[in-house]
Amino acid sequence: MNPDPGASAERTRLAWRRTGLSATAVALLAARPAFVPGAGVWTFLVAAGAMAGWAALIGLAYRRARGLNAWPPRPGQRTITAYAALTVGFTILGTVLVTL
Amino acid sequence: MLDQWFNPQKTPVVGEKPDYRFSLANERTFLAWIRTALALLAGGLACAQFLPPLPIAHLREGIAVALLLLGGVVAVRAVDHWARTERAMRLGTDLPKSRFPAILALFVAVGALLLVVAVLIKAFS
Repeated sequence: MNPDPGASAERTRLAWRRTGLSATAVALLAARPAFVPGAGVWTFLVAAGAMAGWAALIGLAYRRARGLNAWPPRPGQRTITAYAALTVGFTILGTVLVTL
Repeated sequence: MLDQWFNPQKTPVVGEKPDYRFSLANERTFLAWIRTALALLAGGLACAQFLPPLPIAHLREGIAVALLLLGGVVAVRAVDHWARTERAMRLGTDLPKSRFPAILALFVAVGALLLVVAVLIKAFS
């Protein structure tokens, strides 16, 4: 018998994966100016920050997706707050990039 | 409030653990909002990088920064709404209501109008 008839854990896992893909798009856009000729130091720093933030976001999503294998699934707690905080970090990085 | 963000389970002494399905549904709603925030961030970065300079000075950068800030606000609001929903479910009270989706829609509509005006100015100049 299936202990999770609504597939809640699986749907939540897939939602984390989709969110990771969205984060990848943002990180790539934030890092792109560093590959344009004549990029400044700050552009490189923003690109490095974007890559670090992206790695953290993917790592958090991966850990949470694994945590959802537990039974019964526990609600996410600090992972969620950390994810939102990193997203706000991307806002700051992006604003630095645009106003350079 | 910050404690609620980091550890919503701890907040109410009287509350009980809600059905895991509702907690996970709340988490998926949070993730959908985070994707909205990330889409706004991507839009802001794309504006800055791919739009040509607009006829009004710094309009392009202004739109980009507005979108980026809106993305940040959406992310902060997403985690706050998630924590308050989790708390309400534990206490068995009504789920939090919000005007935020309507306000966000208005902001995005105003931004779209600005872009339409910019495109029209460019087309007829």
